[in-house]
Amino acid sequence: MENSYIDEPMLEAYVYETSQIIETLEQLMIQSEKVGTFSEEAMNEIFRFMHTIKGSSAMMMFNEISTLAHKIEDIFYVIRENKTIEYDFATLVDCILESVDYYKIEMIKIRNGERPDGDTASLTDKVNDYLVKLKKDNGLDKSKKEDKEKPKADQKYYISPNRKEDQAKYYKVKITFKKNCEMENIRAYTVIHNIVDLVEEVLYKPSDIIDNDQSVDEIRSNGFHMAIRSTAHEADIQKYLDSTIFLEKLDFEETNQEWFKEFEVIYQDQEISDEIKIPETSKKYVEIQKNKKEKEDSKQEVTATAAQSIISVNVDKLDKLMDMVGELVIAEAMVSQNPEVVRLEIESFDKASRQLHKISSELQDMVMAIRMVALSTTFMKMHRIVRDMTRKLSKDVVLDVYGEETEVDKNIIEKIADPLMHIIRNAIDHGIEDAEERKIAGKDPQGNLTLEAKNSGSDVLIIVKDDGKGLNKEKIYEKAYNLGLIYQSIEDMNDKDIYRLILHPGFSMKEQVTEFSGRGVGMDVVAKNIESIGGSVIVDSVLGKGTTIILKIPLTLAIIEGMNVKVGDSRFTIPIVSIKESFRPLNKEIIRDPEGREMIMVRGLCYPIIKLYEHYGLQTNVQDYEKGILIMVEEDDRSCCLMADELLGQQQVVVKSLPNYIKKYKQIKGLGGCTLLGDGSISLILDVGEFELSNVHEK
Amino acid sequence: MRLMIVDDASFMRVAIRRMIEKEDYEVVCEAEDGQDAVDKFKKYRPDVITMDITMPNLSGIEALKEIKKISSTVKVIMVSAMGQEALIREAVMNGANSFIVKPFKEDKLIEVLESMKS
Repeated sequence: MENSYIDEPMLEAYVYETSQIIETLEQLMIQSEKVGTFSEEAMNEIFRFMHTIKGSSAMMMFNEISTLAHKIEDIFYVIRENKTIEYDFATLVDCILESVDYYKIEMIKIRNGERPDGDTASLTDKVNDYLVKLKKDNGLDKSKKEDKEKPKADQKYYISPNRKEDQAKYYKVKITFKKNCEMENIRAYTVIHNIVDLVEEVLYKPSDIIDNDQSVDEIRSNGFHMAIRSTAHEADIQKYLDSTIFLEKLDFEETNQEWFKEFEVIYQDQEISDEIKIPETSKKYVEIQKNKKEKEDSKQEVTATAAQSIISVNVDKLDKLMDMVGELVIAEAMVSQNPEVVRLEIESFDKASRQLHKISSELQDMVMAIRMVALSTTFMKMHRIVRDMTRKLSKDVVLDVYGEETEVDKNIIEKIADPLMHIIRNAIDHGIEDAEERKIAGKDPQGNLTLEAKNSGSDVLIIVKDDGKGLNKEKIYEKAYNLGLIYQSIEDMNDKDIYRLILHPGFSMKEQVTEFSGRGVGMDVVAKNIESIGGSVIVDSVLGKGTTIILKIPLTLAIIEGMNVKVGDSRFTIPIVSIKESFRPLNKEIIRDPEGREMIMVRGLCYPIIKLYEHYGLQTNVQDYEKGILIMVEEDDRSCCLMADELLGQQQVVVKSLPNYIKKYKQIKGLGGCTLLGDGSISLILDVGEFELSNVHEK
Repeated sequence: MRLMIVDDASFMRVAIRRMIEKEDYEVVCEAEDGQDAVDKFKKYRPDVITMDITMPNLSGIEALKEIKKISSTVKVIMVSAMGQEALIREAVMNGANSFIVKPFKEDKLIEVLESMKS
């Protein structure tokens, strides 16, 4: 990069902060739009946001980003300063949201190490046009012009109140500032402002350094000239002038009264009304004395380091920490369940290992808690989606959000934003009817969409509910049948199974593809994404009343409570949450259908049996039902019984993802991951949802 | 030299910190807004302050006034952006010792800080 000082931490800080500002800004826009106006607070905030983006981006040399922010800042400056101003609220919100979108894309580019190269020309023009129109409509452009036409004084002076006529000497001064030090006029002003203690009288040119920003150019090309009359030591004055910041060159020479008078005479008839305010030196002195005392009093309090209550930590480090806690849990099991030690039955060892277990599970809870993030940011984003969608489709929809304070693991949050967005889009696009249709159906013309999150055991449920037209069971069935996705007759399927078909790849109900949804790669991607984090999607609907989609998401991915089972020489772990019960069946309870599939009746319900040794092609001596054990598992109201040799025990296991060899090449069904057991052997974690479950309850 | 960085933008605080890291300055604290700056000034008594102007709660200029009331010897450098000429003028009138205009590079910042030593 061309700037030596810009480095990784700065870039990170920049992207982090700017992204946060953009997000807050977006929410602020949506909120303001609901009210239909900017509150004063909102206005100040937006102004400050744009100011920060402008400054930070300029520092990073991202000039396009900075310029656009500057323009928006200007707009809000004008609106803020002119309380009675009339402005086009809707267009302004559009402009800013468009800018928000632009910034989002640029931030992604910067994060990925690319230059932000998005074309802002049209956007900047749009914002600029708005600013120009705003000023014109409110007559603010003229007043400024009038100001400029005012005859300007070329020189000005300052006369000290305690002027002594005798012994005064005269000096001629020319200050040249360094290039690019910016705001030379203000720098010149600083020189004048601070020299007052040293001089009796000072004249300077150009004189309009205060009101006219054009004076910058004159100072740049001709330098800043001063005529000084002073009784102070020459050396002191020179020393003061020499200390001017960004001084390129100082011409300082003693001159005579005649020259001084001449400098004065030329500008004699110029107005001298806007004299610089002179600080009241006497008052200042008193304050200094007073404060000196205060300073001494407070000196004892001075401590060297700044205390901070919140620190930001790199997510990579948290991931690493989580991994290590996982290893610790395994290591703990290896020690405390070591078969040789356990056989010795030492009481003190048991006590110590219980203590170890307590601490390690507390540690695990804490690490988990650190990684938890509230869903509120993700939920807030949905407001924007709803806004954009309802505008484009001219539908009237209100989004209500509940339980946004519910927390889930950081890694999970990242993966649910897109699916959620898709579901919301679908609901507005396909679910909720337009106002006319709703009126005919006898509904409130305004559609309702609820987004809710709540905890449910070790899961978090995210519920998206609309009061639209609902799913048409027959239509879905017909379409799925025609597409060849199913072969059963409609009577053989229950409602939930039919609704579930919309999650099937290649299934899209909408005949016409719209901008927002209906590309046929919708709900199946949602289902895949949610499944990839160990969650599931449940669809429910009442025709004419609305649709509910529930995302069931695990609180955390990393550690689960599992039941270890043995099949031959292999070990499997079944997530405890999936297990309903386990039991030893009698051979006579087993039912076989004509195709040889085996089932068992439990309390009047018929469950299919999957023999794990058969399913995975393993060698085992336990093939007789009465010697083995059946584990009844359930997922989303669908169940089956798995047959294993024996149960080994319940344990917390750390989920490690399967190697690609197993996942991609072999594509073995029913595996969710793997883990290490206490004795060092590998256990495969079963993904119950992938087995051929059947819906036992509804038949 | 003991320095306090005042800016509501965390990026700017990081940027200034990194620019001066190689030099012999000690950043004793950072403040996120004007009020915070006044409070931290009382606590840490830095020699030099870099002060952003546009901030919530108390603006940089208000904070400058408050701080100069407590100590007239503390050096305050205003950190400003283009278009804030009027505000800087006001700051200088109220005792700001110098100012620096965004965007700036480390040499500029260090030059201003060095000039505060005299």
